[in-house]
Amino acid sequence: MMSELKDCPPLKYYDFKPVEHVKLCPRYTAVLGRSEDDGIGIEELDTLQLELETLLSSASRRLRALEEQRQILTDWQDKKGDKRFLKLGKDTDLSASSRHKPKKQKLDGKGSHGPGPGPGRPKSKNVQPKVQEYELSEDPQDIPRNPKNDAPNRFWASVEPYCADITNEEIRVLEELLKPPDDEAEYYKIPALGKHYSQRWAQEDLLEEQREGARANDKKKSLMGPLSELDAKDVDALLKKSESQHDPPEDGCPFGPLTQRLLQALVEENIISPMEDSPIPDLSGKDGGNDAAGTSPRSQGKSFSLAKEEMRKQELRQRVRVSDNEVMEGFRRIMAARQKKRTPTKKEKDQAWKALKERDSILKLLDG
Amino acid sequence: MFTVMAMPNNFQHVTVIEGQPCLFISQGNIMSADTKIAELLTELHQLIKQTQEERSRSEHNLLNIQKTHERMQTENKTSPYYRTKLRGLYTTAKADAEAECSILRHALDKIAEIKSLLEERRIAARMAGTYSDNDPPRKTMRRGVLMTLLQQSAMTLPLWIGKPGDSPPPLCGAMPASSDYVAKQGDKVAARVKAVDGDEQWILAEVVSYSHSTNKYEVDDIDEEGKERHTLSRRRIIPLPQWKANPETDPEALFSKDQLVLALYPQTTCFYRALIHTPPHRPQDDYSVLFEDTSYADGYSPPLNVAQRYVVACKENKKK
Repeated sequence: MMSELKDCPPLKYYDFKPVEHVKLCPRYTAVLGRSEDDGIGIEELDTLQLELETLLSSASRRLRALEEQRQILTDWQDKKGDKRFLKLGKDTDLSASSRHKPKKQKLDGKGSHGPGPGPGRPKSKNVQPKVQEYELSEDPQDIPRNPKNDAPNRFWASVEPYCADITNEEIRVLEELLKPPDDEAEYYKIPALGKHYSQRWAQEDLLEEQREGARANDKKKSLMGPLSELDAKDVDALLKKSESQHDPPEDGCPFGPLTQRLLQALVEENIISPMEDSPIPDLSGKDGGNDAAGTSPRSQGKSFSLAKEEMRKQELRQRVRVSDNEVMEGFRRIMAARQKKRTPTKKEKDQAWKALKERDSILKLLDG
Repeated sequence: MFTVMAMPNNFQHVTVIEGQPCLFISQGNIMSADTKIAELLTELHQLIKQTQEERSRSEHNLLNIQKTHERMQTENKTSPYYRTKLRGLYTTAKADAEAECSILRHALDKIAEIKSLLEERRIAARMAGTYSDNDPPRKTMRRGVLMTLLQQSAMTLPLWIGKPGDSPPPLCGAMPASSDYVAKQGDKVAARVKAVDGDEQWILAEVVSYSHSTNKYEVDDIDEEGKERHTLSRRRIIPLPQWKANPETDPEALFSKDQLVLALYPQTTCFYRALIHTPPHRPQDDYSVLFEDTSYADGYSPPLNVAQRYVVACKENKKK
């Protein structure tokens, strides 16, 4: 009878029942009861041999099974690390704790409940022996095979830079960044305006058409001939005329006065947003965008006072931790002394008090 | 006058000199065979009692294991504490089982020792009988008695129970003998003899002696009715198994279904070709075989039981 339940590597709960020699080995049993004078008869040897073979066979099988199962347990214990101990322990506790606690009380209190062979053994009833529940408990050997859930680890790793202590190095880096560069003047120079895009595009379109026309010319040769040349020349003349008439002012608006007034009106009515690259002459006298420059961190001349404050507190906290350890040490010494039923020495008491006072002072600094 | 012989402790090889009662010297003691046997029986008795002491002692631990199993299974307690506890219990139980096996093996060895002595005594008595008077060389045995003896011999063939890691030795079940094996006096063999009319037959025989110079065996037909001593070359001799194979632990040492063998036909002392029908399930079971038999339509007899002792591999390629 072997009840096999899935457990880490399959642990078989063999039935290691010894052979019932009284039933199965009668001659052996009879011989056991005999005195030495009576002894064994030669004619009994064959039967005895068979019975002893039965016993040996059973013991031999038991030996093999024990070794096999013991090896499984040993391998399992060697393989797993501490984490799995905890994990397995936790899980089984979580699932079973509600059942176990009331059971424990029952065991302590009363004892026998429910069926089961043998009196006086602590009964474990309240629990339906559910094989399925048992199988749900973790299979530690599977854990390495399944992808480990390390999301919490990754999360904390990603959050860590935000929560870490501020270091002087970091403040230095920030100060470096905020230092006004010496050669800022370069950045303030605004180069001259180029050709407005409307003009540039018109010119590019013209060139494109000229090219196409030239190609058409090549294809159609004599058909188009003088006409296209004439066209091209006309177009060029037209363009030049328009250019001379509309030379964009260097720092002015490329649009004519009428257009300018139209645009201004539209902007005032909030129909269109002001155009950035060709500043409409500021007629309404609104404020410039000087505020933006004013709120730049550079101009504020930051001194990282908050960061420095935080760093000071960090240091204090570190000292508190050290002092905590000393307090704990003092506590342990006093507890040890109490266990040994002797009063703590003056030295121990002093040390403990000192540690406590120091800790308190640091905390006051921290809070203040 | 006594003939005095020094005996090696295992009592295996004894050359008996004609006609004289023998004294066996063992470990400096001079005693008669009967006394020696009696002494061994007493030792066996002690061993059996020790065996039971060992078994009772280890029962307590086995019970603990059982309890722990139950708790682990029904209460879902698979914590490392329980596993370590179980491992500890297993270790103790293993040591107990080893001790139990050891004593049991001693006891079985003791029985084998006694039986061996008895066998020697039988051979000595037979030899003495041969030369003491002018009676016919053999005492004829009644058939029924012979069959019972054969059956008993098959039943009490020692069962091979290997220690962990052991593999079945030669002449255990179907395991063949090593190529240089020489059967000893008293060993049972299948011997191919030529009958008077020229027919060849495999008979059950007992080894009398082996001559290294001629490489020939002298064997006696186990059925002492009228057949004489044969002198045969080695290839006409197949030693019978000296251990039963345990189907539960060493199934590879058994002949498998449909294998061709030579098996002793029930109620006879002759071997015939047969096919294995089913191998034994338990140590004390027999093979079930189908003998080649032209008197049946399909050429084979219905399944008949033959003990492990009397089934050997068939070396013949063709029917005799």
